[in-house]
Amino acid sequence: MSAVAVAEPGTPTVLGRAAAAEWLRLRTVRTTWWCLLAAAVTIVGIGVIAAADEAEGPVGPGNLVVPSTFAGEYGVMLGQFALLVLALLAVTQEYASGSIGPTLQWTPRRGVLLAARVVVPAGVATAVGVLLALVADVLALLADPGLVLRFADLADSLPRIAAVLFAGSVLAAGVGLFLRSTAGALATVFLLQLVLPFLLPAFGVGWMADLGELLPGSGAIWTLLGEPEMTAAQATALLVGWSGVALLAGGRSLLRRDAG
Amino acid sequence: MIEVRGLTKQYGAVRAVDDLTFDVEPGKVTGFLGPNGAGKSTTMRMILGLDRPTAGRALVGGRPFARLAEPLHVAGALLDAQTVHPGRSGRDHLRVAARTHGIPVRRVDEVIDSVGLGPAARRRVRGYSLGMKQRLGIATALLGDPAVLLFDEPMNGLDLDGVRWIRRLVRDLADEGRTVLLSSHLMSEMEQTADHLVIIGAGRLIADASMQEVVRGEGARRQVRVRTPSLDQLAGALLRLGLRVHPTDDGDLLVEGATAETVGDVALEAGVAVHRLTEEHDSLEQVYLDLTGDSVQYRVSSAPALAGQVRR
Repeated sequence: MSAVAVAEPGTPTVLGRAAAAEWLRLRTVRTTWWCLLAAAVTIVGIGVIAAADEAEGPVGPGNLVVPSTFAGEYGVMLGQFALLVLALLAVTQEYASGSIGPTLQWTPRRGVLLAARVVVPAGVATAVGVLLALVADVLALLADPGLVLRFADLADSLPRIAAVLFAGSVLAAGVGLFLRSTAGALATVFLLQLVLPFLLPAFGVGWMADLGELLPGSGAIWTLLGEPEMTAAQATALLVGWSGVALLAGGRSLLRRDAG
Repeated sequence: MIEVRGLTKQYGAVRAVDDLTFDVEPGKVTGFLGPNGAGKSTTMRMILGLDRPTAGRALVGGRPFARLAEPLHVAGALLDAQTVHPGRSGRDHLRVAARTHGIPVRRVDEVIDSVGLGPAARRRVRGYSLGMKQRLGIATALLGDPAVLLFDEPMNGLDLDGVRWIRRLVRDLADEGRTVLLSSHLMSEMEQTADHLVIIGAGRLIADASMQEVVRGEGARRQVRVRTPSLDQLAGALLRLGLRVHPTDDGDLLVEGATAETVGDVALEAGVAVHRLTEEHDSLEQVYLDLTGDSVQYRVSSAPALAGQVRR
């Protein structure tokens, strides 16, 4: 049979289907649900305890009432890793199992696959993280009447959480696409996002602390908790810059290299 | 229809596929043969846009596969049955494939039934035997009802029933007018199933011809097997004509390069009785081994065991 001139669907349709398939891929493996459970436990659990602890701090002349959004922010700072692992595994598990082969036979336009594969897991991680932060905020408020929760606090807090989670997930997906190895990508993301930003300043050596402030994790911590010392522009540059570079490197790997 | 034109793949210093050009035509089963490492899988991967050719190109249904919006409706492939996420059920694997094309779930259950996966489809792939994974891979290839099918060693891991099923399936697909490219190391299977052969060795094209041409064509040896109570007498008569003869273990005589007519006439003139007279051509395996000659490893490990099956 030779090629039959059937009208092919346009790129928006193909992209929509690829995204729907990506969503189904996420839902049909247990790993995703384990990651979400881990995220729920850490974000809500640690967030609520941390907020209650913060509210019990000394109330002095300079201390304001603590908003319960501290719960979500603190919880996400630690619990984000479960969500980043979700986005990372969505990419690297396909290389580990070889199922990237069938995937590219179904969606051979690699640009389409790249868009779906980065946006869907990052979107899921972000949406779930924001939702869990909100739950943590409300539970913290119920648990400790010393906290307050105003709409303005939420309107300030949740977009910051969303930015951190989206940037982090894109970073994780990009590193995963670039390295194609679960272990290598996990180690890289952990170092960049958590270990080095906390570890480097701890030595008390000037250049180490300076180096630490150039890492994406420092931008994430500042965006969530306002530490360490930096401007909003610097933090934004870190989040956008690092996830952009990771996306370029990973995207190039998917678009140009053999399937793997 | 698959068109391969000057397809080349270089890995560092190694040229895995070297300027391959051939067509795979509809309505036939085209066997894709070559020793391990000859470049069969790499060629199939390049046809499907998984690996980028160093030079040349491949068209599937007239277009490069990697540009297709709905590839499953054009070509379905089973390359490696193991490349499925172990934590997902077979049915979910198919549902994801269907989702990429807007294919209804009804069709998913249809192909599950047609490959005989049945209730196992709802179990996770982790627990599948290789044969079950092969069936899942074939179900995936058939999902979009494509005009072109590529199967890389689909009989691996299948029991006799499975092998017979594939043989019939592949035959039916070709008879429906589809293009079927089938690689296999099982020569006896290939001899029964393929209409056309593309044989490669060390990345280069060795033969692109019909099964008839390969097995009975020039270069293929012919011989006549004759059974007679007067073996020495007949052998002597044949030798005098300059024919080469060998006695077989079971007491017959093999006459090389002769026809049944010649041997029958010689026997009549010599006045010896003939109890059996048959023309034999080389098995595909023998032709294949001659063509791909340098693959010593294959010959040593497998040929003696297979030879008996092919002849009988």
